[in-house]
Amino acid sequence: MSVTIKSREEILAYLRQILVELFELKPEQVVMEANLYTDLDIDSIDAVDLILKLKELTGRKIQPQTFKNVRTVGDVVDAVEALLANSAA
Amino acid sequence: MRNGRKINHAWRIAATGLVFVLFGLGALFISLTVFPLLRLVSWNPETARRRIQRAMQITMWSFMETMRVLGILTYRVEGVERLRIPGRLVVANHPTLIDVVMLVSLMPAVDCIVKRGLWRNPFLRWPVLWAGYLPNTEGEELVDACAATLRRGHSLLVFPEGTRTVPGEPLRMQRGAAHIALAADAEVLPVTIHCDPPTLFKGNPWYRVPERRFHLQVTVGSPVAAASFRREGEATSRAARHLTDWLRGYFDAGRRMTPEGAGASAAGNSALPEPIWMTEPAHPER
Repeated sequence: MSVTIKSREEILAYLRQILVELFELKPEQVVMEANLYTDLDIDSIDAVDLILKLKELTGRKIQPQTFKNVRTVGDVVDAVEALLANSAA
Repeated sequence: MRNGRKINHAWRIAATGLVFVLFGLGALFISLTVFPLLRLVSWNPETARRRIQRAMQITMWSFMETMRVLGILTYRVEGVERLRIPGRLVVANHPTLIDVVMLVSLMPAVDCIVKRGLWRNPFLRWPVLWAGYLPNTEGEELVDACAATLRRGHSLLVFPEGTRTVPGEPLRMQRGAAHIALAADAEVLPVTIHCDPPTLFKGNPWYRVPERRFHLQVTVGSPVAAASFRREGEATSRAARHLTDWLRGYFDAGRRMTPEGAGASAAGNSALPEPIWMTEPAHPER
């Protein structure tokens, strides 16, 4: 399976799209520094939905531990970037 | 007159303390006698569960009546018959420590979510197990367990705030209740509890009794299908937000009104704005 490594901007754009779609956020709310829990009001049940969507993007199984320390949108972008780099290798 | 008031105040402190002790001892006593007995005489676990839930109602009703007779409180319930139809998710606001006592005293059969620590308590683990109560696990695990019991046709009592309301602060609603209702495709039955004057709220110790005997007004609203909050093709995460927003508006409206007003409005839903998705056809997806 070939996966093209996406740039951080592309990952953010995709993440913004799914956050807006899943959680009724405004696109401008989804910035790198935004805290998922306090700024974007995402709860643990939402997090499960989000991880499912990210699975589609990366085409990889995502271990829950990968997202354990994720707090901000930037952290998600980092995690996805790392996953994509792994799957390309 | 002043003296009479003081004596009444002191009496209510003593009576409240007594009821708290009685409640603790009574719960332990019943857990060691009535519930095991009911379990023993019921061959079928489902029969035991029904009988124990009924015994739970009678116990809670006795506590409410004890408090009423002792002059601690008065209470009034509107629409109680709607609480007796099984298979509904009963959602209530949570102003006081005794909301669960009040509501369970009105329902012959209802599942409750209780502290999971009880499953490690040598005395109380059996009653909660036999009654079919649910441990307060988290996230998806809790939503799945709650939806499963609703799908089996049981009613379930949930306080969507997750904890008691802090007076004077905006309602902090969690979305778990909405997720449960959507996952089970159940009807949501909103119940407004109003306590006047406020007492036994979060952070208020039991001995700080109000200046006069308090009144609990319970108003059972009209059931709403969870599926009506889901627009076509919409993700559950969004529908859960709509349902939670609606509940927040419902309980906020109830909070702003006098007990009488809350009763009148919740019965007719007249003071509540009709959300747009309520007017669209429902799309139950599972």
